[in-house]
Amino acid sequence: MDCVNIIAKDDALVLMGDGVYAALADTDASKALQDTDAKLYVMAADALAAGVKNLAVAVSCIDMDGLVALTETFPRQQAWY
Amino acid sequence: MTAAPKKTVLIVLRHSPYGSGLAKAALDAALASAAFDQAVDLLFIGDGVLQLQPDQDSTSLGIKNMGRRLASLPLYDIDHVYVDAQAAARYNMDLSKAPLHTRQLDDHEIHQLMVCYDHLLGF
Amino acid sequence: MLCANAFDKEGFLCDLNDWNPDVAAQIAASENLQLSSAHWEVISLLRDYYREYDSSPAMRALVKYCALNLGADKGKSVYLMSLFPGSPAKLGSKISGLPKPDNCL
Repeated sequence: MDCVNIIAKDDALVLMGDGVYAALADTDASKALQDTDAKLYVMAADALAAGVKNLAVAVSCIDMDGLVALTETFPRQQAWY
Repeated sequence: MTAAPKKTVLIVLRHSPYGSGLAKAALDAALASAAFDQAVDLLFIGDGVLQLQPDQDSTSLGIKNMGRRLASLPLYDIDHVYVDAQAAARYNMDLSKAPLHTRQLDDHEIHQLMVCYDHLLGF
Repeated sequence: MLCANAFDKEGFLCDLNDWNPDVAAQIAASENLQLSSAHWEVISLLRDYYREYDSSPAMRALVKYCALNLGADKGKSVYLMSLFPGSPAKLGSKISGLPKPDNCL
């Protein structure tokens, strides 16, 4: 979760794989993410598989096309394993 | 063939359902133990509690639904399922909708549980 | 009629979406079984099981599932053996268009 300390308002964060659990509403993880004021996204297929239905309000669901669109908007990307 | 002596086994699940193959390996171990008539109980701790998240739908990932597979365990007479209460709270989980009927334990109770078994199998 | 390459070498369907009642009868015939209403009752239950648990049952689970849904007299391995001789979980799954049960030890 140390990426939370680094990201800022104009950044976008995409939660994928096990990262989707950080989108669960009313958890410390999702609260910390919302406090960053970054744009938050979650991969729909991964969230669906995990049963992560109750998303924190600030998180938007995207599919693969949405991810591609984001990569066009953000030329610099950092994967966070 | 004479029946193997009964040993008590606790399977300890510590990882999320789709992040690795460990959840599936644990389930296979549970089913194999049941096939040999060994008494197995399950303990979900840490991120392992996420395996009990209700309403999983892995269709679009093209892999087996771990939640639904876990739900079949009572048909194999695996009925004692324990959950790390603190981890379930951290993920704001509603265990009443979990695929298995569970009993929540605090850290001290988890320790007490783990010392009761002949063997622990960690995944 | 599905052609031979729709099945794996043990006779299980390669694509589960190919299944329909005619295919079930075809698989049964290749196992020298004529399907009766008692067979169909269990086939339908096996398909329910697969939808509910995303897996094919091993014998133990099949017996218990039959007992729960069809009553105690049908939830017995003798009864299932009489319908699907040899290995009821495996043969029943095959005819019902389910994957081979992985935990047939």
